[in-house]
Amino acid sequence: MHKTDIIVGLFFILVGVVILIDAIRLGFGWGIGGPEAGYLPFYMAIGIILCSFSIVVKGLKKLKKEGSGNRLIKEGGLKPVLWVLFPSTGMVLLASLVGLHLAALIFLAFYMRVVGKIGWIKVILVSVLTPLIVYIIFEKWFLIPLPQGLWGELFIPF
Amino acid sequence: MENFLSLITGLSISLQPYNLLIIFIGIILGIIVGVLPGLGGANGVAILISVAVILPPIPGMILLSTIYWGALYGGSICSILFNIPGEPWAVAVTFDGYPMAKSGRAGRALVLSFFSHGVGAFLGLLMLSFFAPIIAEFSLKFGPAETFSVMFLTFSAFVGLGGKSPVKTVIAIFLGFILAAVGLDIVSGKLRLTFGSINLMGGFNFIVAVIGLFGLGEIFFTVEEGLRMEGIKARVGLKDIWEGLKEVFRYPKALIMGSFIGCWMGLKPGGATPASFMAYGFVKQASKNQDEFGKGAPAGIIAPEAAAHGAGTSAALPMITLGIPGSPTMAVIMGGLMIFGLLPGPMLFKEHPDFVWGFIGSAWVANFVGLLLILAFAPLFAAILRIRFSIFMPAIVYVCAIGAYAVNNRMIDVYYMIFFGIVGYLFKKLDYPIAPMVLALVLGDMAESAMRQALIMSHGNPLIFFRPPIALPLMIAGLIIFFWPTISGWKKKLTAKKVV
Repeated sequence: MHKTDIIVGLFFILVGVVILIDAIRLGFGWGIGGPEAGYLPFYMAIGIILCSFSIVVKGLKKLKKEGSGNRLIKEGGLKPVLWVLFPSTGMVLLASLVGLHLAALIFLAFYMRVVGKIGWIKVILVSVLTPLIVYIIFEKWFLIPLPQGLWGELFIPF
Repeated sequence: MENFLSLITGLSISLQPYNLLIIFIGIILGIIVGVLPGLGGANGVAILISVAVILPPIPGMILLSTIYWGALYGGSICSILFNIPGEPWAVAVTFDGYPMAKSGRAGRALVLSFFSHGVGAFLGLLMLSFFAPIIAEFSLKFGPAETFSVMFLTFSAFVGLGGKSPVKTVIAIFLGFILAAVGLDIVSGKLRLTFGSINLMGGFNFIVAVIGLFGLGEIFFTVEEGLRMEGIKARVGLKDIWEGLKEVFRYPKALIMGSFIGCWMGLKPGGATPASFMAYGFVKQASKNQDEFGKGAPAGIIAPEAAAHGAGTSAALPMITLGIPGSPTMAVIMGGLMIFGLLPGPMLFKEHPDFVWGFIGSAWVANFVGLLLILAFAPLFAAILRIRFSIFMPAIVYVCAIGAYAVNNRMIDVYYMIFFGIVGYLFKKLDYPIAPMVLALVLGDMAESAMRQALIMSHGNPLIFFRPPIALPLMIAGLIIFFWPTISGWKKKLTAKKVV
């Protein structure tokens, strides 16, 4: 936990420096029409750098005193998180190819069957009905287009 | 009298069949969101923004706000029956609600909680209906310096009273402001923090950030915890309702104390959660039989529940009058209102009275409908918890993706949503607060333009933020609250020395 605190603190310092550079490029002083565009980002960046620095220092002190502290993510906790993250990302990537509805169908079925180990009947029922209902409500009823993807028209011609 | 007439107009708007239907849908969805642990009011509203954007402004606003009212009611079911708080503000009710349910009086515990919610809501709504126009009238006098000082006070409250590490809160707020600044600067026309990327030119839409941070992030957090549901079965009979109603009023002190603490706390950012804890603490201290607390004392259910709902409703007051949300969920609702092109604040009262009073009227109707629905169907809602999470979860991710896309019809926003989901999860793990960051993202542009306008007015003299009569006390209060952790640290040291 303390280690991650330090790493994240260092990362925020980096973020702060990047913002600072852009704020200086934009100008952070007094322009013709009042404060320039970089005025607020400049002070925000300085604030972030100072605060992150204090977190890093505090973290280092604690690291010396208490060792690395308790784990950030419980043992075995990361796996289920990644099991959500990767399929969700997969769904989004797939959506840009075959459209959101079909991608969602595959994602729902995959997660329920592979991760949830739910019976086939329920899996098929939920994973077909949910996108279908969404499709009818959004595209047919309220006429809100959702991502079709590259080949979406081929799959849902109606 | 004028307010009263406006309120009646508002009520009649929300009693139109279509809007009433929306209220029923919103309340049911809200209760479901509230019942499910891991999905809170803010998350529920964030996720269902995708549905609200397709509605016209008034029904859309009604849907978003009723989800919150529903979530306020629903959070207690899970706490009382499963000892797992469905919502952060329902943590305090587990102390006495669960023991009471365990001792075989589950129905009674639920009824007590719902009626206390009802009373808290009633007081909160009274305050909302009669103070909102006064505050809005008053805040019409605000110039940019005053607007900025109100915002400063709000953010200070997160830092000083938020309960998280003050330094981390400051970082979260500043990051929120930075995220808000990305894209085209309206004043100078320059591109800020885009680093040559075309995708960043449009900036970050805060709805997308909210869906990612609150929706996805919370799901990651919930799957990591790996919830297992073992609850108490409850039945709520007519007799329970009648006995519960009588019992609620046997503890007037707990009820009144809870509601007032709730309404007061709701005005400050932080909202319902600290209010419920505070009310529990106060009532326990004031009680004659403190030993009963923790074993199923009725007062231990009544006070935190009345406070939670009072805070929830009164949090709408600063949002609708000043454009400053009193709770994280209100921040998300306010974000939702902004999609309809409606900027909450004093001008809203003047320009769109039908909208404001529709909001207030629907809050009355929705809270009443919510009370009836939850009294009638509490066991049914509790049954939702027996559905496996792996059926809900992918569907929620799907709805989140729709919402992120529907805001701007851009695929890139869906990628941003996943990115914000990861950020939200890590922030929560590392104890960086999410709510102030989202608030900074929502208010960022307004706060910045208020600051710049004020500085232009004063030719760069920062003392304008301290100008009497309105800005000065606000800024001083803000500064005191901001440095409160340091001040209370000194105080502790001083008293410790004296004792030595």
